[in-house]
Amino acid sequence: MAHRNIKIAVTAVVLASAFGFMMWTTLREGAEYFKHVDEVVAQRPTLEGKKLQVQGYVIPGSILHNSNTLEYRFKIQNNPIRAGEPGNVINISFTGQPPDTFKDEAEVVAHGQLRSDGGFDANQVIAKCPSKYEAAGGTPGQAKS
Amino acid sequence: MANLGTFLLLASFVICAYATVASVVGARRGSRRLIESGIGGLYLVAALMAVATAVIINAFLTDDFSIRYVAQESETLQPFFYKITAYWGGLNGSIMFWVFLLSVFGSVAVFINRERHRELIPYVVATISTVEAFFLYLMVVHKNPFSTYLTPAPVDGTGLNPLLQNYWMAIHPPSLYTGFVGMTIPFAFGLAALITGHLDDSWLRAVRRWTMVAWLFLSFGLMLGMIWAYEVLAWGGYWGWDPVENAAVLPWFTATAFLHSVMVQERRSMLRVWNVTLVILTFFLTIFGTFLTRSGVVASVHAFGDDPQLARLFTAFMVVILTFSFGMVIYRLPLLKARAELDSWVSREAAFLANNWILLFCAFFVAFATMFPTMSEAVTGTRMTVGPPFFNKWMLPIGLVLLFLTGLGPMLAWRKSTVDNLLNTFAWPVGALVVTVGGLAALGLTQWASLTCFALCAFVFTTILQEFWRGAKVRRKNTGTDLVTALIGLVARNKRRYGGYIVHVGIVLIFLGFAGNAYKRDVTKVLNPGEQMTVGAYTARNDQVKVIEDGQKQSIVAYISVFKGGKQIDTMYPSKALFKKHQNEPPRTDAAIRRGVAEDLYLVLASFELGSQAITLNVVINPLVNWVWFGFGMLAFGTGIALLPESTFSFATAKIASPETVTTTIALLIVAMLLGAPRSASAQHMEMPGSITEPKSDLERKMRDEIACTCGGCAHEPLSKCICGQASQMRDDLRTDIDAGLSHDQIISSWIAKYNGEHFLAMPLDRGFNRLAWIFPYLLGGAGVVGLGFVAMRWSKHPGESQPSEVPSTDAGMNQRLDDELRNLD
Repeated sequence: MAHRNIKIAVTAVVLASAFGFMMWTTLREGAEYFKHVDEVVAQRPTLEGKKLQVQGYVIPGSILHNSNTLEYRFKIQNNPIRAGEPGNVINISFTGQPPDTFKDEAEVVAHGQLRSDGGFDANQVIAKCPSKYEAAGGTPGQAKS
Repeated sequence: MANLGTFLLLASFVICAYATVASVVGARRGSRRLIESGIGGLYLVAALMAVATAVIINAFLTDDFSIRYVAQESETLQPFFYKITAYWGGLNGSIMFWVFLLSVFGSVAVFINRERHRELIPYVVATISTVEAFFLYLMVVHKNPFSTYLTPAPVDGTGLNPLLQNYWMAIHPPSLYTGFVGMTIPFAFGLAALITGHLDDSWLRAVRRWTMVAWLFLSFGLMLGMIWAYEVLAWGGYWGWDPVENAAVLPWFTATAFLHSVMVQERRSMLRVWNVTLVILTFFLTIFGTFLTRSGVVASVHAFGDDPQLARLFTAFMVVILTFSFGMVIYRLPLLKARAELDSWVSREAAFLANNWILLFCAFFVAFATMFPTMSEAVTGTRMTVGPPFFNKWMLPIGLVLLFLTGLGPMLAWRKSTVDNLLNTFAWPVGALVVTVGGLAALGLTQWASLTCFALCAFVFTTILQEFWRGAKVRRKNTGTDLVTALIGLVARNKRRYGGYIVHVGIVLIFLGFAGNAYKRDVTKVLNPGEQMTVGAYTARNDQVKVIEDGQKQSIVAYISVFKGGKQIDTMYPSKALFKKHQNEPPRTDAAIRRGVAEDLYLVLASFELGSQAITLNVVINPLVNWVWFGFGMLAFGTGIALLPESTFSFATAKIASPETVTTTIALLIVAMLLGAPRSASAQHMEMPGSITEPKSDLERKMRDEIACTCGGCAHEPLSKCICGQASQMRDDLRTDIDAGLSHDQIISSWIAKYNGEHFLAMPLDRGFNRLAWIFPYLLGGAGVVGLGFVAMRWSKHPGESQPSEVPSTDAGMNQRLDDELRNLD
């Protein structure tokens, strides 16, 4: 009986550590930092080139769109306008189709990478809704894989 | 009415509390009267919740906007159907609907089992009542759907969220909730068995079928949610590893594991701790899933919103569940000892064990990755997130291993497989696998994951065919009938096993659909009027953009001509709908889908400019996606067959007459439902008073709704409503055409010629689009009728043949194996 238990324990440990190791390595590739604009600006050198999600609020009037292509440029700041203190600003360039909720003052999460000049190349932009199914709608701009 | 509703909830809560106490005290003192009164309390709660449900549905139908919840989820103009489904459209109502379903399910379960499992029933009642009481408490103190306004009530409501005004979304929550709620019953029986110490396998028999029923609804709820996401969220996919989707799939994993491992306990009396653990885990995960969607712990597109107080209550409840149930498991460990050990790793029980580990790992992994952002923030202070690619990286290989086991398991014998045995059974499936790989490689498919998936699908499918073939052959020899009768007899004799195989066919089809996803094409482009884009074999041209209004919403519809091989095959109408009561919100994007067996063409109107008529069009080609839905249909059919056994045998042996009547009644009911569905839909159209003449026929009435006035002054109203002179003229034209004996399609085409376009139509023509989806429920219903009919025939023709006749057979080995299994399985 003891012999059998040892075998089971060894198998369990080997399996668990194998899974743990695989999980750890894939997590290092798959995980993305989720930061607010102020944090990104403060930690710029360490975040450059890493997969990153940055959250902020679209500065009204900053959205530029080339109407014949899907190129967008816009600026986001750390806090919403009504908060008074706007915080830091990041320039974002994005090629693709933003969701319907993407507009001035919208709270957005941009997925992409930080350039060395401090700008941000987004490959995906998700606009958040202030509330969900209770009073308002969800976000049709579902994460695209 | 609101007061009555609140009172009913309060009363239910009090009675739940009483039922719990009465049952426990009754069981401990051995007082039959107390126990009976506890059971009565459970029934009473179901009755009260039914009345409360009637009250709130009545409030929705009569537009009683003094009730806050009604005002939030409904409006006067909302279609009748969505007024009813608005009941579970919001947070408060969904909790109430949950309690209603649980009370009904619980009462039925107790009613059926009250004699057979007399010793367990008090604790079953106590457990169900406690769960009900928790949710009732949430409503009474915090989320009362009957709460009213302190200020004067609004004149009209704000209306149900546009995203929820969809056929699939209307039926998705009831199905999913039924699945979730159904998992409470196995948990209640498991807990009762632990408390009383009656841990022989009888409690398992009581819950096995309940788990199967709940599992079926859960699977179906998942599928409906997937179809909804596919049609309404308009991102070209159906599963995005969103936290809420994950929450729903977690208990599915553990319940699936339980349905497999329960067989090992029945056959070999092994895995007893494991099974009770799975039952507890499944129930826990249903509560956990509810918690995830309703507390705002994780951010999600589907979640109901932040609610810290609710989060705290749920956390407390979950801690209590885990502590109490696993405390009981540890306390009862001596009684739960396995009575047999694993003989060999090359055996069916080992395959089941592997399947269980993998399913449980799936649940663990998905839970971990879903909670990862929350956990990483709590531990390191930095929020890290993982996206769908991370999930896919893990779940893809795991899914493939699981698929392989689906084929492997049935081929292994219980206890130990011999080498001969293996060679014999593996030859054909492995052959099929090799041929598939060769064939697909020759066709130039290189994507390794989907290639493996296709090959494994062929492998599993062949093993299932082989099982049917061999079983039928043995039975033919034994009974001396033809092969088809033998096959039917085989399934009828052992519905659970062969039903299970049919479920596996469904799983194979679903995987086929998943594998097709690797060849998905997705292109987005700006198209000026007249411009076109080509994706794969299809070319899409932007013809025009139009605005179409009805009372509730304004739709911007793009008219897209679709060409394939130089020929126009379709005109598709992707659109965006702006709901008048939801002006501040983004419009609902309705994808246009041209469904096909091989692939779907999926068009999304991403954005538009009315002035220049330019649009941004997203063209997606989804290969094999419909096989996912067909797979679920097959899964439902197989589960249906598996669910029949016990009652079948008791019916067949006891009385012959009644099953026929029962079956006929059910079949008639289903037929009535099928016929009733379209009729109730057309009943929604209203009669118009005033100067509009009465339509003479149904066709005329129908066409008046389809055709819109072209005068330009009336917001494109249908002929059944518009009262201007132009509409009156058009009505006369329509009457003339109908009197001339033209058919619906003839009139439409002649009017297209007359008006030089389709702009007179209130809604774009619906060619191809959605056809497959609408067929689906009918297909299922049809399969159900066929299944029931076949059972009815079996019962009526061969009432005495339920015992297998002992006819000597030449294929002794196979025969013995089959008989062995047939004898032991049910």
